[in-house]
Amino acid sequence: MKNIAITIFIVLIVAVMAIYLVSFQVREIESALVTTFGKPTREITEPGWYFKWPTPIQRVYKFDSRMRVFEADIGETTTKAAVPIIVNTYVVWKIAEPLEFFNAVGTVKEAESKLLSQISDTQNKVIGRHSFGEFVNSDPAKIQFKQIEEEMLTDLKQTVRTDYGIEIKTLGIKQLKVSEDVSKDVFERMRAERNRKTEATIAEGNAEATKIKTDADSKKTELLAAAEARAKAKRAEGDAEAAKYYEMLEEDPEFAILLRNLEALKKILKERATVVIPADAEPFKLLKEMPDIKPKK
Amino acid sequence: MTKENNQDNKDFQPQFAIESSRAELDAAGKSLSDALRISFVILKIIMIVLVIVFLASGFRTVEPDEQAIVLRFGKIHGIGEERLLGPGLHWIFPYPIDKIIKIPVAKKVNLPINSFWYFETASEMLPKGPKPTRPPKDELNPIKDGYCITRSEQQSQTIAGFSGSDYNIVHSKWQLTYKIDDPERFFKNTYTDDAKPGQSYADVIVKSINPLLQRLFEDAVVTALVNYTIDEALFLSQGRISRHVQKLLQEKLDAIESGIAAVSVQLIEMKWPRQVDAAFQASITASNASAQAVSEAKGYAENTLNEAGGPIAEELLAALEDETVSKQEKEFLWSQLAGAAQEKLYQAQAYRTKVVETAKADAEYLQKLLPEYRKRPKLVVHEIYQDAIEYVLNNADEKMIIQPSEGTVGSEIRILLNRDPTIKPKAK
Repeated sequence: MKNIAITIFIVLIVAVMAIYLVSFQVREIESALVTTFGKPTREITEPGWYFKWPTPIQRVYKFDSRMRVFEADIGETTTKAAVPIIVNTYVVWKIAEPLEFFNAVGTVKEAESKLLSQISDTQNKVIGRHSFGEFVNSDPAKIQFKQIEEEMLTDLKQTVRTDYGIEIKTLGIKQLKVSEDVSKDVFERMRAERNRKTEATIAEGNAEATKIKTDADSKKTELLAAAEARAKAKRAEGDAEAAKYYEMLEEDPEFAILLRNLEALKKILKERATVVIPADAEPFKLLKEMPDIKPKK
Repeated sequence: MTKENNQDNKDFQPQFAIESSRAELDAAGKSLSDALRISFVILKIIMIVLVIVFLASGFRTVEPDEQAIVLRFGKIHGIGEERLLGPGLHWIFPYPIDKIIKIPVAKKVNLPINSFWYFETASEMLPKGPKPTRPPKDELNPIKDGYCITRSEQQSQTIAGFSGSDYNIVHSKWQLTYKIDDPERFFKNTYTDDAKPGQSYADVIVKSINPLLQRLFEDAVVTALVNYTIDEALFLSQGRISRHVQKLLQEKLDAIESGIAAVSVQLIEMKWPRQVDAAFQASITASNASAQAVSEAKGYAENTLNEAGGPIAEELLAALEDETVSKQEKEFLWSQLAGAAQEKLYQAQAYRTKVVETAKADAEYLQKLLPEYRKRPKLVVHEIYQDAIEYVLNNADEKMIIQPSEGTVGSEIRILLNRDPTIKPKAK
């Protein structure tokens, strides 16, 4: 019994060791390549548990299949009309085909140096096809920034997939710049543009202020005119109404005029008047002599 | 545990009995068998303990802000929703069969993006304290200084005549907040550095993915900003730009199946280049002055209209021009009028009242006197006439009665009037 237990124990250990020798795991984040006597014979891109011959016969090379980011050096290139432009391109890539990758590249470091030259090729080729106005344009409809990135991606994707077993997931321009000398010109232009804008702003502001003021003034005039018209109408109404009463005066115009004149006289001479009257006017002629009157029969 | 132990002992009991009976024959053999027996028991205990430790090591805790993936022989274990383990205690087969990967999903990480800012020395980056003001160079170094290019406004193309590809330069600072929202995709697709001994997968995530995010973010900013003019970027639509950048970034993140979500994109600062600062400051001053002039004009307009017609002046004017406004409404507005216009109306009203009242009074007076006058015209006229003379003379300051000399022609009378000093000239 004792011996059996020990035997089982030993067998187990040996078995586990044997399994280690003849099997391997490929994780979700990896792909693998099996070589037989140094010659690649099996490509594994699905995760799982696999068997192989022990090491001297078959070897396993594993590759991390996750996306990595790689950035090319910042570099100057020219657009269609030979306008210099500085772009900085990055790619997100991964090892898609272990066999190709193993044969053509081998290591990540080597892959990056391959990518570097490929990217600058693509960059020069694609950007050279486009004019500067397709990167930046005063008319937003003409901007083809995204399309340019797409074109670069398509261009790059083909070559690196077949040649190196690398898949480019995405590509982008992370810096878009101009050379030092050009930046000086840009500043000069920005300054000029800003100054023009400043003047325009001032002019616009003044114009608007003037417009508001004139508008108010004209409104005021208009309003007062409207009020004046209404006032006139009101006065005319008064005159018309008064005219009704004049009809009543028609019954004896002579007498009415006398009354009105007397009224006027009273009003005119109400204050601060010096009256000079001939002595023969009524009733002052009484001062001269007794009147000669007799009772009426 | 102890129960299991006892059971094992029972199984081996008869074996020990046989051995001891044989040992009686040989003392040396007995001591050897004793030693063997003890060491075997110890070995057995060690084995059992090892098995227990082995099994117990399969228990794993997933923290509340984490989700976990189990790799069985390297392959993600489970189907559908079972592929992700939520927070709590889980048992997995110990290494090398299963491996648990814990991924912090709830954790939001901030990533500042300063690569669009001009180059600053370490001392200039300090947030406080007196800064040595280094005058900016005339140009920007494309390697050291960061910036974005914005499109220029449409009308300026005629001025520079450069096929509409004029552009401006702006500096900006951003902050990205992100989180992992699809742990499986993230784990499968996004590269992370290998965890060093003592580090977990979660520990290396942030450092590993920042370079990727940084680049995708910069791409989104560059792509977005070429669509805006510098004025839009600086003054108008900063919220819109942030959203635009976030949208572009998320599109990229989804396109590469990174499993990362951009939670928010914040524009910390957007600034024109220092080289053109004076021009921009002047422009802002001009804008302010312009706004000031306009607001003053508005104040003037308000005052003017108020003085002319009170607060409803404009409403009334509009109503007068609008034919659809009913007469009643217009009358109401007229009645609400104030100021100079109202004054005019009041005067007219007063005139009207006066004219009518006077005419009425005159007419009534005549009507009253008429019957009497018809009966005795001479007396009535005399009476009225003398009344008036009396009234006039009573009110006169000075009265002079002069005897006209008959027959003299060309004689003249001179009267010297003393002006009453208390009388002031009538105000006109």
